[in-house]
Amino acid sequence: MTNHWIDLKNADAILAIGCNPAENHPISFKWIEQAMDNGGKLLAVDPRFTRTASKADHYAQIRPGTDIAYLGGMINYTLQNNLTHQEYVVEYTNASFIVNDKFDFNEGLFCAFDDAEKTYDAKAWAYEVDGAGLPKRDKSLQDPRCVYQQLKKHYSRYTIDMVCSITGTNKEDYLAVAKAFCATGRPDKAGTILYAMGITQSTHGTQNVRATAMLQMLLGNIGIAGGGVNALRGESNVQGSTDYGLLFHILPGYLKSPEFDNVDLKGYLEKWTPKTKDKKSANWWGNTPKYTVSLLKAWYGDNATKENDFCYDYLPKRSGNYSFMKLMEKMGKGELQGLVCMGQNPAVGGPDSLKTREALAKLDWLVTVDLWETETSIFWKRPGVNPKEIKTEVFMLPAASSIEKEGSISNSGRWAQWRYKAVEPVGDSKTDLWIIDQFAKRLKKSYEKGGVFPEPITKLAWNYGQGEEPEVQLVAKEINGYFTKDMTIVDKDKTLEFKKGDQVPMFKYLQDDGSTVSGCWIYCGSFTKDGNQMARRDATDLPNGLGMFPKWAWCWPVNRRIIYNRASVNPDGVPFNPKRAVIAWDLLEKKWKGDVPDGPWPPMKDDKEGKYPFIMVPEGHGRLYALDLKDGPFPEHYEPIESPARNLMSKVQTNPAVKVPANMSNDMAKYPFVGTTYRMTEHWQAGAMTRSLPWLVELVPSMFVEISETLAKTKGISNGDLVRVTSMRGTVEAKALVTARLKPFNVQGKLVEQVGLPWHFGYAGVAKGDSGNVLTPSVGCANTSIPEFKAFLCNIEKGGKRA
Amino acid sequence: MSEITTDYSKNKAFLIDMTKCTGCRGCQVACKQWNQLDAEKTEFFTGEGYQNPPLMSEHTFTRIKFRDYQKNGQNEFAFYKEMCMHCNEPACASVCPVGAFKKTKEGPVTYDAKRCIGCRFCMVACPFGVPKYEWSKALPLVRKCTGCYSRIKEGQKPACATTCPAAITYGNRGDLIKEASKRIASRPEKYLKKLYGEEEAGGTSVIYLTALPFDELGFKHVTKRPLPSYTWQALRLVPGIFLTVGGSLSLLSWFTHRKERLKKEAEQRDASGNAPKEES
Repeated sequence: MTNHWIDLKNADAILAIGCNPAENHPISFKWIEQAMDNGGKLLAVDPRFTRTASKADHYAQIRPGTDIAYLGGMINYTLQNNLTHQEYVVEYTNASFIVNDKFDFNEGLFCAFDDAEKTYDAKAWAYEVDGAGLPKRDKSLQDPRCVYQQLKKHYSRYTIDMVCSITGTNKEDYLAVAKAFCATGRPDKAGTILYAMGITQSTHGTQNVRATAMLQMLLGNIGIAGGGVNALRGESNVQGSTDYGLLFHILPGYLKSPEFDNVDLKGYLEKWTPKTKDKKSANWWGNTPKYTVSLLKAWYGDNATKENDFCYDYLPKRSGNYSFMKLMEKMGKGELQGLVCMGQNPAVGGPDSLKTREALAKLDWLVTVDLWETETSIFWKRPGVNPKEIKTEVFMLPAASSIEKEGSISNSGRWAQWRYKAVEPVGDSKTDLWIIDQFAKRLKKSYEKGGVFPEPITKLAWNYGQGEEPEVQLVAKEINGYFTKDMTIVDKDKTLEFKKGDQVPMFKYLQDDGSTVSGCWIYCGSFTKDGNQMARRDATDLPNGLGMFPKWAWCWPVNRRIIYNRASVNPDGVPFNPKRAVIAWDLLEKKWKGDVPDGPWPPMKDDKEGKYPFIMVPEGHGRLYALDLKDGPFPEHYEPIESPARNLMSKVQTNPAVKVPANMSNDMAKYPFVGTTYRMTEHWQAGAMTRSLPWLVELVPSMFVEISETLAKTKGISNGDLVRVTSMRGTVEAKALVTARLKPFNVQGKLVEQVGLPWHFGYAGVAKGDSGNVLTPSVGCANTSIPEFKAFLCNIEKGGKRA
Repeated sequence: MSEITTDYSKNKAFLIDMTKCTGCRGCQVACKQWNQLDAEKTEFFTGEGYQNPPLMSEHTFTRIKFRDYQKNGQNEFAFYKEMCMHCNEPACASVCPVGAFKKTKEGPVTYDAKRCIGCRFCMVACPFGVPKYEWSKALPLVRKCTGCYSRIKEGQKPACATTCPAAITYGNRGDLIKEASKRIASRPEKYLKKLYGEEEAGGTSVIYLTALPFDELGFKHVTKRPLPSYTWQALRLVPGIFLTVGGSLSLLSWFTHRKERLKKEAEQRDASGNAPKEES
């Protein structure tokens, strides 16, 4: 989230697209209801009439996978009706930047596409630069090659008629949503966009998210209270896990994971440290060397020295894609020896899950760490399988639950909140920290006896106390970071003295010479000399009453509750909306008041020190036009890989930068319905934590599918009947819930029915059933490889598998 | 009894704003957790939408009833939280021959199992059908929501009110009626202009606000006259017979359920089956 949960109360319009906060983030409604009590409008865009839709002022139905068409239409609506926040767009976005004259978009393809490799050369989309190397700009926005005019041209094709015939949305509903939301372009209004997996789980997921961000920038809604682009994270600590580098392409703190040609630290830093010649651009990622070296110091301690590149050589270098789908593919080919699943259940949670279950048998060994048996941990005795034929050695480690251990969790709003142990772990279960600590210690011991390349393990610094249970406070302290020698730092007019071992107060003091350690730079400031900031519980709000509660827990970065908040004020530092001032420049005291500003500099207009507000991109301006994505500078509508529709926007049917794998089918005769998967309030992800809890099982006891009354009638299905749903990947059996909340989609004049499938279920636990993921396709986003769980083709028939 | 005017405005009460309920059912689970109630065996859904379990019972003191229907071509997906209304003048207490029910000074209507003789007059008397009998037990008692009296005494809110994200406000009855009226006044286009529970059964400690007509959500039509004024007249005359009748009923129940109990013990504990039908 750019903002945070409580901030939802400050919105005048809330657009929930590709998410279902009432069901999947129930507590969010505490704040959404407050916004509505103050006159805010809730707008729900979803394929189904959900519990969120039931609370909305306006509901609009959308066919799965057509979000870019939907949002592109809203961008066009904003531009055509002059609803943009003009000053914001001119000053804070790259609307005025001139694009080089080779840039082109034609028949669904941007320039520089390599059809054989299915890749673009993004260099061809660069800005035009002047003699000083700065991007050329036209602040009048009239130059036909400026981003604004290109944007206007691109989205002029997204007329309401065109968009509605793609998304299947009723025109009146579409206009009601567009009108209510785009009205927040006024400086005194705030609109927030909430999204979740309905936006991301798509072959053009990254571009879906971009489309939300672009709409918000045009409306001046980023950086302000009640605004923002807010990802509702699917697990209580998934924000934390991403922050700490859970994904294959990032290291902790969103540093890039090294690629095969980043042969040494110098090469790595050269490649990944962005540069700018513009003095007004803070270009925060210019600090990449400080954060990288501090991270290496956290990992390799005294072994990491300037002479040995701070042990950079020990980091694995990747060549290619190590995403979940690719790993499963490799596993299926027998290319993986072992797999450790900590709190993950790929036999239920991944796409094309029958394949994954088969692939698990190709492993020599499998370790699962979870609260209960999961489908993954008992894949060897799943229905229809002879355990004797499976050679994989399986180890199940019982894990302590969140209330049985101490530590931090980071919520969607980036708040790291410290939790304490309430009860002792049950039986032999152990904390994740203990398990990882044991892994590390025992691996170190083994590798000390030798190995092909033992140093990356043996040289690891691993100092989390002498006890049996590692000291979680020491981990938190290392993440924050400390000085490795006595230091004197001059910061403007202050001279600061630090002793060796002192905690680093904030990341601006991290160094690239080995004198500081920090396990995750964005968390620098979370554990200082004043103690564990994440454990703070002072519920005093700021005088602005916006619900920031700066002394409650700690929020990255630097306890800033709303990021990009320098965009909430005009270039003089005066809030666009004084009634909801996030920050304001105090002329007398020459300092910012309110939230922690996005950088200490004075307002942007200050000739000497002023900076642009979008500090994480080298040009300092929010990108309406992106330079570094794999599938184009503007989001363009393409159909999902399996779709009931022809692409009306261009001849290019699906995202050109995505290679289409084999087991996909657009055979509407065999698979005439749109399938989509989702979660219930009552169960959690792959179900390992909830399907064994009787009180939750009572509420939703088994797998079911939702279908419309019309589809039920056509197929002779009554509520509660057993049905089987089939896709190119497999068949699931479930009971049918027949409801008026699901309606067929209008696809170019023809009605196409949908089948809604929760994916929580499996053959372990108490609440059982097939996982919706037996049906989902193993194909993902061009940029992130997140699978396209939300849109595929299927068929439904009355009767179970054996019927 | 009814001629005595008592001030209930300081009683602890629930304001349940169904327009803010998202049907997340955190209240249902929190109730079972705090009261350590068994889960019911369910197989699919037992009502509209995702409704479960099928009935209020000895194991279920509160539940969300779902409505999933169309009205004027528009979808309605609406919810109604069923629970003990904690009447100002509770019929259950007035008919109980042994004084097992008590309207506490704090507000909740509590039940003392030690006094209960299992006569089940309370079940007949309650206009909301709240008290439930432990049919599954050898020596059955009546069970119902206690308004989390044990929590109230410690200065905490009831379990359901604590867990609810937005729909339940807990406080003094008088304040809540004012708050509810304020909400109706500030968003007249949204709310039905009536508080359910303000006058029903002589007034209750659970007050509802809705957008949809009460009968569409499954609320019961209840007289505004306090119920004890009906029951007391008749019942106070026959305490002796009452006791005897109650005692016999309990005995009868014990025998009727003995067979079932033995059968159950023979089978697995969880194989009891016989999911009751939805009551309308």
